[in-house]
Amino acid sequence: MAVVSAGPRSGPAPGAHFFCTAGRGLEPFLMREVRERLAATQVEYISGKVFFTTCSDLNMLKQLKSAERLFLLIKKQLPFPVSSVSKGKIFNELQRLINDDPESWLNAISIWKNLLELDAKKEKLSHKNANPLKRKVGEDDITAKKLKTEQIQDIQETKECQLEKQIEEKILEQGNFITEGEKFQELQNDVTEAVDTRNQTNLTFRVSCRCSGAIAKTITAQEVGRVIGITLMKQFGWKADLRNPNLEIFIHLSDIYSVLGIPVFRVPLACRAYIKTAGLRSTIAWAMASLAEIKDVYYVGADVSDSQLSGAYDNLRAAGLEDKIELLKVSVTELPLPSESIDIIISDIPFGKKFKLGKDIKRTLQEMERVLRVGGTIVLLLSEDHHKHLKGGEARSGPLNSLGGHTEEPGGEECLTPAEKAAVSELVPSSFTAGNQECLDGMPPLGSLVPVDCYRVSLGKTDALISKYKKAYSPGR
Amino acid sequence: MRLLTHNLLSSHVRGVGPRGFPLRLQATEVRINPVEFNPDFIVRMIPKVEWAALLEAADTLHLIQVPKEPIQGYEHNEEFLRKMHHVLLEVEVLEGTLQCPESGRLFPISRGIPNMLLSDEETET
Repeated sequence: MAVVSAGPRSGPAPGAHFFCTAGRGLEPFLMREVRERLAATQVEYISGKVFFTTCSDLNMLKQLKSAERLFLLIKKQLPFPVSSVSKGKIFNELQRLINDDPESWLNAISIWKNLLELDAKKEKLSHKNANPLKRKVGEDDITAKKLKTEQIQDIQETKECQLEKQIEEKILEQGNFITEGEKFQELQNDVTEAVDTRNQTNLTFRVSCRCSGAIAKTITAQEVGRVIGITLMKQFGWKADLRNPNLEIFIHLSDIYSVLGIPVFRVPLACRAYIKTAGLRSTIAWAMASLAEIKDVYYVGADVSDSQLSGAYDNLRAAGLEDKIELLKVSVTELPLPSESIDIIISDIPFGKKFKLGKDIKRTLQEMERVLRVGGTIVLLLSEDHHKHLKGGEARSGPLNSLGGHTEEPGGEECLTPAEKAAVSELVPSSFTAGNQECLDGMPPLGSLVPVDCYRVSLGKTDALISKYKKAYSPGR
Repeated sequence: MRLLTHNLLSSHVRGVGPRGFPLRLQATEVRINPVEFNPDFIVRMIPKVEWAALLEAADTLHLIQVPKEPIQGYEHNEEFLRKMHHVLLEVEVLEGTLQCPESGRLFPISRGIPNMLLSDEETET
């Protein structure tokens, strides 16, 4: 392969096609992100996946915050006709996915390699700059090392991502059947160590399948995986490897589409390297922060729980943000802050049965309302129950006894901020237009807090509502 | 806890109201952390600073070179802004106490985190 000059602007072949999986409800955030960060075109979404085209390189792609995983698109097409069709027929269709159009596959692989090699070259360049006397590292070595590093990273990250993966799979499941193609045992060769990515016939691969909807009744994901795997081996001469493949192929067959892709990173984007103690789901946290219109601010994180604060501190250290975010052990029901001193509040209101809905949430909101400046913004994550409760239109007056509520997401982006933010006088919904109107209609004003935006999102087992409010006036107290 | 934070904290012990500010600071362990200087940010914070509280706290910590008040044209005075940046953001109290000036209630600061939790009896209703 010709050496690509690694200038500052070089990227993969113009306009590579990608898709991301996203938690239900986060698709609008992701669409906005790919447009803003990646100048993406041809952006569209269908139920949990956002498709787009971009020239961006791995570094830019890595920065997506509202996506679960990122894939290079091999193929997207209409769903398989399933009614009164035999398995044999479906197997044929599956084979045709590969045999009718091997170019798509080879194309996608080549883009994938380009992305990795470009990234490897950048590493090489920085090696070179760092130590010019070092032996010149070969291109193959770096790419091989990179793939190897990613594999090791995969193992290390696996534990941290267990929960993430479970949640991811729950979000995407909903009638899906998932397998990792265990039937491959009889077909695979021994694990290959050396990686020569220039020679395609030495590629090892693994197939991941999901089947949902009507097709899942006729054929299992395992069977799909097996057919695809055998066809790939025959067509391209690749070898299967379940444990440490070079290449992973991802297939999702549903009632809406048939999608094939290559995961670009081994570890899901949603798995942040800098989060040591998991709290709120990273993608949801980011979505909330993105709604809060944060400019240059002073951040203060508050919680009653020592363990939460300690986890938050670990995350701050891992992210190098200890200097930027202050932590306080306070109860959100009794904030030791002057009235109207804060510009933005972001909070994950506690869920769960032991949190006394009625009193605590009202008290919490009263305090938040009190400390917030007129024109300030609040972004809350509310459970269905909270939402219903607030909708109930009960009297909002009357202070009540309180229990401490925990409000913190130990991820470094939550804030109660006393810093400057341009005062916002108009209260129209933000320019982010994909808000859920029905959900917004269900939000009553809370005292002087006027609802501005609302998104229903999935947290795996349950749904929640990201609700944004602005303080319209100073309640005369 | 940085001094900018101290500048905001007040006691919410029952009945104390506005006399709960500012909290009296005592420090047994202090750390100086270099923080990236952001002049725009400092300029925007200056109007919000409660100066008496800041000076009192800075004095307790024996800080030198603390401006007594915003000077004419501070927005463009880098020396002034850098001093304020240092006082507000680079001095961290790791261990100590904050005391409510009205009720005398002590709030401990431990590992940089002030504990402002009140018991049920103490909270305002």
